Amino acid sequence: MAWITKDSANARIDRRDEPYLSDAFKRSFDEKYAHRYPNRQALSLPILHAIQHEHNYLPYQALEEAAEFLGIGVSDLLDTATFYEEYFLEPKGKYTVWVCQSVSCEIMGEGDVTKAISDKLGIEPGETTADGKFTLMKVECIGACGGAPCALINEDLAEDLTPENVLKRLDVLD
Amino acid sequence: MPLENPVIFKNVPTPPWGGFADRKYVDYDAYVKAGGYEALQKGIDDGGEAVLAEVKAAELRGRGGAGFPAGMKWGFLPPADGEPRYLAINADESEPATFKDQILIQYDPHTVIEGIVLCMLACNLDTAYFYIRGEYHHHRDAFEKAIQEAYDNKVLGENARTGKINDRWPRLFLHRGAGAYICGEETGLLESLEGKRGWPRIKPPFPAVAGAFARPTIINNVETLANVPYIVAHGADAWKQNGKGRPDGVPPQVPASFGTKLFGISGPVNRPGVYEENLGISLKSLIEDYGMGLRDGEQPKAYFHGGISMGVVSQEEVEQGVQMDFDIGKKWANLGLGTACVTVIPQRTSMVSMARNCARFYSHESCGQCTPCREGTTWTAKLLSRIEAGDGTTKDLDLLLELASSMGSMPGSTICGLADGNNWAIRTIVNKFFHEFEEKVSKSSSVSLAVLG
Ligand SMILES: Cc1cc2nc3c(=O)[nH]c(=O)nc-3n(C[C@H](O)[C@H](O)[C@H](O)COP(=O)(O)O)c2cc1C
Ligand code: SF4
Ligand code: FES
Repeated sequence: MAWITKDSANARIDRRDEPYLSDAFKRSFDEKYAHRYPNRQALSLPILHAIQHEHNYLPYQALEEAAEFLGIGVSDLLDTATFYEEYFLEPKGKYTVWVCQSVSCEIMGEGDVTKAISDKLGIEPGETTADGKFTLMKVECIGACGGAPCALINEDLAEDLTPENVLKRLDVLD
Repeated sequence: MPLENPVIFKNVPTPPWGGFADRKYVDYDAYVKAGGYEALQKGIDDGGEAVLAEVKAAELRGRGGAGFPAGMKWGFLPPADGEPRYLAINADESEPATFKDQILIQYDPHTVIEGIVLCMLACNLDTAYFYIRGEYHHHRDAFEKAIQEAYDNKVLGENARTGKINDRWPRLFLHRGAGAYICGEETGLLESLEGKRGWPRIKPPFPAVAGAFARPTIINNVETLANVPYIVAHGADAWKQNGKGRPDGVPPQVPASFGTKLFGISGPVNRPGVYEENLGISLKSLIEDYGMGLRDGEQPKAYFHGGISMGVVSQEEVEQGVQMDFDIGKKWANLGLGTACVTVIPQRTSMVSMARNCARFYSHESCGQCTPCREGTTWTAKLLSRIEAGDGTTKDLDLLLELASSMGSMPGSTICGLADGNNWAIRTIVNKFFHEFEEKVSKSSSVSLAVLG
């Protein structure tokens, strides 16, 4: 999986006065999840999902607050956060397009679909448009191979894509 | 003999019994109306031990890839000691070209939940975690809804109809993954459940002894558990009417291929989708009678017959009679049945590109803790990109094959089976389509400027 080397010595951490994790957030999170697991480290994935859901990515300060809230080390939570492809440590676009590049999709024309998106948005896979609207990701099989080539646009599945119909789907997003 | 009646897809309209367009979420009431949760009642009446005996008698083999007998796995649990015991349901489904479990999760979650509770009853497990891959968004919503319905109707939770299991009211929670293939490996899954990076564990201890939170844990695939209600309701013998038994004279210790199986079909066929058929159906019939053959102008060349990690079978082999059962590996030189989701590779697709695609997948998804796998998969991917770009040499092919034999849990140099998947994908593609690779490496004229890094 991802091996992220970060420039710890020079990295500047953006901080703000207002906490990312409000008391209300913590209360409702604990109500929903705490009873499910025998320890609090197991809440790591749920809390990372919850933070990203609210803030679009995982701000470092939010990770610090979450680690304190769970009673685990910040490095432990960061260790988990950097391992998984879905967690973003940098802001991503309002819409993330996850194009599947695995075998069935490649056979059915993923290459042309990705190229069409890439040309249209002026970004390479892994990048975000300057206006912060779109992030393009190439990912492995998303479990919708019957509709290959396919992609997820945020949480919505787009199947049987062509270079033309995929652009139409992006055009209608605001 | 084609399957007469669907077993697992009883409530999921599928050709020839129904149409894909009619598939919809089967809620608790509709499920009960169709006879749902009767097996659970029978399990409760007969007791957990009877359920365990029935599943053992059915010789139900795991549907997640390895085909390990579920009843035997359940039998490995130590006796209860008063502390919690867990079930982890593997709904990670991230093997490339695999999309079978998601149909059950989306449309008929109660069959899965009934199987889950029967397993908890049989194995004396109080808490279950449904580990679902992060990308299954709508599936997650559907399954959450079904879990809530199950609690509301006392299938689970306080005052559940099962009574207490392992001295606790039975509970089921959904746990969302976050995009990592390796969390489908059972101990990677457990690490991820515990909130850590999904690094597979060294075994032993096996999860049945020390699994989630260091407690006894059973891990089964979604489809495996979806078979359990039928087995309990109708008995092992009825369930074993489907599929492929042992040939005459073969001793009962030899595992057979009883039951039906979900088969996915993708690639350039007329009707891609997920179907249910007998284990043992010929791959040719699956493609022709269910996939409705290849699209106009396409010719088949090869197949990933069970996700990429099992390797490929060629069209010639398929013409000779490849059957989709648990013996496919031994008979046709590949790793096994895998997920039984088939990708059709047409003539126009280069096998070098397919090998490069697989290699990229493994190098990206290797969790990195074993050096042979981390370095070997990356090396393989670079080699194949170079060969594809026309810059490979004949020596590279030898190196490729050597790499694909030296890492893995079978040579014993890695912790989990990811590297073995890499090996089988690469080796079967290279060996069965060697001429395509030779052609690429002997073209000395095509100089490319590809920068690898
Ligand atoms: C690298 C790797 C990935 C795996 N991915 C999955 C998966 O996505 N889903 C699954 O059910 N099993 C997967 N497995 C198999 C599991 O380890 C395990 O055998 C299975 O969940 C057991 O359930 P079963 O016996 O019911 O099949 C994977 C195995 C390996 C080595
Ligand atoms: S074989 Fe590969 S994926 Fe499996 S544990 Fe080792 S490094 Fe990780
Ligand atoms: S191969 Fe693209 S969704 Fe499965």
